Amino acid sequence: MTMTTEDLNIPGSQSTPRILTDWRAGTLLMQGDSYPENTFELFGPVIAWVETYLEKGEAPLTLDLSLIYLNTSSIKAVMDIFDILEAAHGRGRNVAVNWYYDSRNERVAELAEEFKEDCTFPFSILPQKD
Amino acid sequence: MEASDLYSLREHFTSQRILLCFNGPISRSLIEEIGIALKNYLHAEQAKPSAATDVFATYIEMSQNIRHYSTSHGYGDLEGQATVVIGRDESEHYTVSAGNVVETADGEALIGRIDALALLDKAQLKAAYKEQLRKPREPGTGGGAGLGLLDISRRSSAPLVARLTRLADERAFFSLHATI
Repeated sequence: MTMTTEDLNIPGSQSTPRILTDWRAGTLLMQGDSYPENTFELFGPVIAWVETYLEKGEAPLTLDLSLIYLNTSSIKAVMDIFDILEAAHGRGRNVAVNWYYDSRNERVAELAEEFKEDCTFPFSILPQKD
Repeated sequence: MEASDLYSLREHFTSQRILLCFNGPISRSLIEEIGIALKNYLHAEQAKPSAATDVFATYIEMSQNIRHYSTSHGYGDLEGQATVVIGRDESEHYTVSAGNVVETADGEALIGRIDALALLDKAQLKAAYKEQLRKPREPGTGGGAGLGLLDISRRSSAPLVARLTRLADERAFFSLHATI
């Protein structure tokens, strides 16, 4: 039996994304804008959850992201998360990112593309379904 | 301020094509509130979504830079005041300007950095941005670790313009102007 840790369910706000984890399904969802002044408070628990998930189990992890605008501080935090995924991928772990964008705003896909450049794990940039 | 001066102030804003401006002590919540007003304004103006994102991002990075600077220097309300102006220039480009009081030496260092950024083309700015992104954060800071100016430069259609106006006591007013 795999040990689980408490899932995160953080409602979104004007300047912070909605964050939802599902340990059993192996998913982390983040959607919305992210531009808080201090990203440590927001992303600290997310980074801890990802690290614990990857340490304690063997199951795959998928990030479903519908992030729109990120301030530079949030970009740095998201890059930290991708670095953790990259290291896990290097150890043979099954990890993936799906980044959904609204095709009306090309800045979102450009942002995702720049992240993808530095990642070797499966990273899909997909138009928003609705 | 004299009551009759309000009209001339308004006329000045109109002639300078100023859409939104703020002058005073700035807080985390105020940055957000002005940001909402700015987003709504850009939406109502039917700005292209990419341009609206660039204007909004420039405003956020500039005002958060000011907040980080004033709080890290323990500035009070008076010194921690920010002046933020969003407008348009003659060729219909959005412009974002922000200014605050800094230690003169810090202001001079910033001017040097911005002058150096002005020499870089878009590809060089991207490379510098990626390099900065890979640098470790200063301990204890949740900020963007020096990425803000690079991000603003990349979103701008012209090099950033910075000015330093000397004040008393080794301090100066630093202002930064970006054309989107």
